[in-house]
Amino acid sequence: MIYTPPMKILPTLFAIGVLSGGPALAHHSFAPYDSTLQIKMSGVVTGFKWANPHVYIELDAADAKTGEKRHWLVECASTSILNRTGWKFNMLKPGDRITVIVSPLRNGEPAALLKQITLADGRKFSNGAAAGRATIE
Amino acid sequence: MWLRLTLVTLLAAGAVSESVLAQSSAVRGINGSWEAYPLRGEGFGSGVQPKTPVKAPTPVPEPPLKQPYLDEWRSLQARNAELTKKGLPPLSTGMACIPEGMPAMMQATFPMEILETPGQVTIIQEAFTQVRRVHLGAKPVAPEDAEPRFAGHSTGRWDGSTLVVETVGIKESVRFRNTPHSTNMRVTERMRLVNDEILENVVTIVDAEYLTKPWTWTWMYKRWPGYRIEEYVCEDNRYYEDPAQRYQRLKVN
Repeated sequence: MIYTPPMKILPTLFAIGVLSGGPALAHHSFAPYDSTLQIKMSGVVTGFKWANPHVYIELDAADAKTGEKRHWLVECASTSILNRTGWKFNMLKPGDRITVIVSPLRNGEPAALLKQITLADGRKFSNGAAAGRATIE
Repeated sequence: MWLRLTLVTLLAAGAVSESVLAQSSAVRGINGSWEAYPLRGEGFGSGVQPKTPVKAPTPVPEPPLKQPYLDEWRSLQARNAELTKKGLPPLSTGMACIPEGMPAMMQATFPMEILETPGQVTIIQEAFTQVRRVHLGAKPVAPEDAEPRFAGHSTGRWDGSTLVVETVGIKESVRFRNTPHSTNMRVTERMRLVNDEILENVVTIVDAEYLTKPWTWTWMYKRWPGYRIEEYVCEDNRYYEDPAQRYQRLKVN
């Protein structure tokens, strides 16, 4: 059974560092990402690198505000966290259409922390507890 | 039984000492894969609670540092928290893909494996593929002879059903929770099974130069039968130190 914090207290948990990392993260803090903002984007995969310390997806998707196509770098957890969350190293390839829910970088650069991915076949995967859950549909 | 027979054969051949035999006469039941307890959430472990609930240990307390180290430590923690709040997380060894070392590697960020073999207990932490070797029944390494290492130099003995491990020679740059230490720091761990599923590790750090008293806390691990430790090589690190503001920054393009 996994503890899921009620949505109301999520911002508080982020503020005190419970979900955003603290000493328990292996690699780095997720603080550069705007944890108060989640956006949904659909687009085409242009790259998928299965490696540590993080798996990365490259994605061409329209910007939610401007509609302009941007090239995004989407940060995922480590390979073992993703394996334990149900992912598989070869489940994505360039050309795949996906939908992601992400928290973008606070500095406006086109990179984001993944919260949830939906594959072309409809399967959904989270990005593990440290990255946090999607709070939008 | 085969283990003891093998050891007796080796003893007869002069390949192992009697003290090693005494320390290795039985596998004590901590062999296998373990995950942090309380469980850490989706992706970190099995998600399966133990059959018998065990009270979670209290959090690691503030290090009992001497002055002026305590004030320095508190202001560093406050500054780091402030920077993190602003989205400019301070630099860390983890960001640079430097392994956690001792004692942080024993907090079991990711699952770990314990291997009991004659004369040695080996502990493998999945994150950064960290390995430490505990030499059973061996003479403790004097701090002045201990080449500084991330995992230090560990010797151990079974005290009844408790594995007592002493570690010295931890690099000064390896700072658990940003806590400074001297080359004479000694970490003592007392590991014992609370029940068949839960392993307790009581950690005590002694360092006369930096600490006013021993710094102690308990970590717990839950057995994860059948879990195979995964590979973790930091081959594609896209984080770097922002040259102007000295914080963790992602290389986007």
